[in-house]
Amino acid sequence: MIRVLSLLFLWLAVATQSAFAAIGCTLTNPAEDLKYLYPEMTTYKEQLESFPKLKDGAAAFQGLRARLGSDLDPIYETYETPYTIYTIFKGTVKIGVVHGVNVPGKGGVIQVFVAADPNSGDIVNFFFQRLESPAARQLRSKEFRAQFTGLTLGDFYKHDYYAAADPGARGDKLAAIKPPALDAAGKPDYEAALRGLRKNLILLDYFVYGRRFEPYFERAHQALTKAKE
Amino acid sequence: MNPVRWVLCSFVAAYCAYAQTAGGQTSQTQSNDPFAGVAPAATPQDSNGEPAHSWLGNFFSDNFGFRGELMSLFDSDLDGSGASRQSIGFEALKKFSSETSTIASFDFQARLVRRDGYNPIPSDMEGAGNPGWSFEVHNLYLDLYNVFNPLMGDGARRKQIGRFNVRIGHFYVPFGLNLQTDTHATLLQLSNGDNFGFDEDWVAGFWGAINKHLHYDVYYLAGSGHDLKFKGQKGLVAARISLSNRYTSQYGLEGGLSVIGGDRLASAAGAAPMTGALAPLRTERIGIDGRYRHTAPNGSLAFTTELSGGRDAFDPVVMELHQAEYLRSSRRWGIGSQFRRFYRDGGGTTASATAEFTWYFRNDVAGSNLHWIKLNIERQLESVGVPPHTILTLQYYLYR
Repeated sequence: MIRVLSLLFLWLAVATQSAFAAIGCTLTNPAEDLKYLYPEMTTYKEQLESFPKLKDGAAAFQGLRARLGSDLDPIYETYETPYTIYTIFKGTVKIGVVHGVNVPGKGGVIQVFVAADPNSGDIVNFFFQRLESPAARQLRSKEFRAQFTGLTLGDFYKHDYYAAADPGARGDKLAAIKPPALDAAGKPDYEAALRGLRKNLILLDYFVYGRRFEPYFERAHQALTKAKE
Repeated sequence: MNPVRWVLCSFVAAYCAYAQTAGGQTSQTQSNDPFAGVAPAATPQDSNGEPAHSWLGNFFSDNFGFRGELMSLFDSDLDGSGASRQSIGFEALKKFSSETSTIASFDFQARLVRRDGYNPIPSDMEGAGNPGWSFEVHNLYLDLYNVFNPLMGDGARRKQIGRFNVRIGHFYVPFGLNLQTDTHATLLQLSNGDNFGFDEDWVAGFWGAINKHLHYDVYYLAGSGHDLKFKGQKGLVAARISLSNRYTSQYGLEGGLSVIGGDRLASAAGAAPMTGALAPLRTERIGIDGRYRHTAPNGSLAFTTELSGGRDAFDPVVMELHQAEYLRSSRRWGIGSQFRRFYRDGGGTTASATAEFTWYFRNDVAGSNLHWIKLNIERQLESVGVPPHTILTLQYYLYR
């Protein structure tokens, strides 16, 4: 029996190295939530994704930090972290993509979900499934969230340049977002929510859109480097 | 010059001058804007890994999840009566999809366990009858989603989506909060173990959304607990109505109302653990439960309550459980406390108070990457047949 147990331990050690995660940041009740976002939907499909499944996944994960603009959290943002992508259909026509991520907030976890156009990658809606924060009411407000409709990951990358080199530029759509009225205790969670939204869009770009917004990241990076010179 | 012509010429000249200036500004702005001409990549990169070609390769690469699990647990009462439970296990999850829909999922979670000695702790009810080596199945079920879809058109599918799903296999007893609480590896358990002698059973039934506020579960249960066996029991029928996910998301609130009735297998004493000769026992329960999670300084608090009453044969029973937990926002450590009490008329009362500290090395929000050490102390306040003890438990757990 000791031999059996040793083999099982060895198998476990090997298996967990290559294991693909069981679940990620999922909708607790996908049918209900997706119907709320897409009343015309008829079916939805779940797809489990992770960096180890990507071609050059390790390199993509290394690049996540640069695209996010901040360090990765060792609990919430590991190489093995699984992600669930929901694709929404009306009949046989793809009408939406929904994806959620976890980010650490001041009071605990913040789960940021994005509903995006399956073709353009535009934000159609974004919402919080779980939001342990003193600023929860303000961040959940429709008025605040509606300001992000129509933005893309490209706008986030562009903002990196504009905020540093050309503040107030007309092309900086993110700078036009009016933050909710928050006290000092709520501001870290506002920042965390924006970071979650950005992370969500980056991951969607990796897993769904084939990195179609990469030209914006590269141009922002080049322009910032040039501006610093 | 004709005054009208003079005005027109002046206007045209002014317009031309403006247009030239404005055009100049526009082109200057465009030339200064580093994103001029940048557009999303027309040909997206193929970001997926090498596609598997065989059926087996596809099975294990597409929507397949696998986790390994390791647990080491030692417990002892203050008289020095010690026990050890060591286990190694796994969980495999597979989702099946058509071109436009996820139609089913299969989950299998099991572990090989080695027990030496035994103390009756709530997280190891089945251990009383399984000394030495044993293989335990925890989850083994198939979910079929939107099972009536093949019979419906698009309009009906749109209306009924999420309403009719089927689950068949081995899973938590659909009574109280256990359906929505993974207690597979935790030391603090909910009340079903005390209430029925088992918290998992072999089930078949429907689940889904009633409307945007409520969720339902209706199941038939074999009534035999962890091992599927029929010894004259007819089984149980359970129904539960619970608050939908929006209450958890927006208000941190979970809750429900459950009823269950029928026959289950039980030990002669009627209560947990299930040891010795098992016989059918007429069982009826109705219960109400709730959990409220709220932010607290530097973390979050969760309060849980399960209350139920009913009968075992003709004997009235009452079960109550209250629990409070605090989790640091860093998710590095947490504390918990619990009071549980089970009363059966003619069968005596069991009650205990528990305190627990957990240090997390990994504590993924979704529960997909866990690594912790728990220290748990349970003071039995009332017990049946033996004097109440104080039991100290140390647990190491890894799931990834």
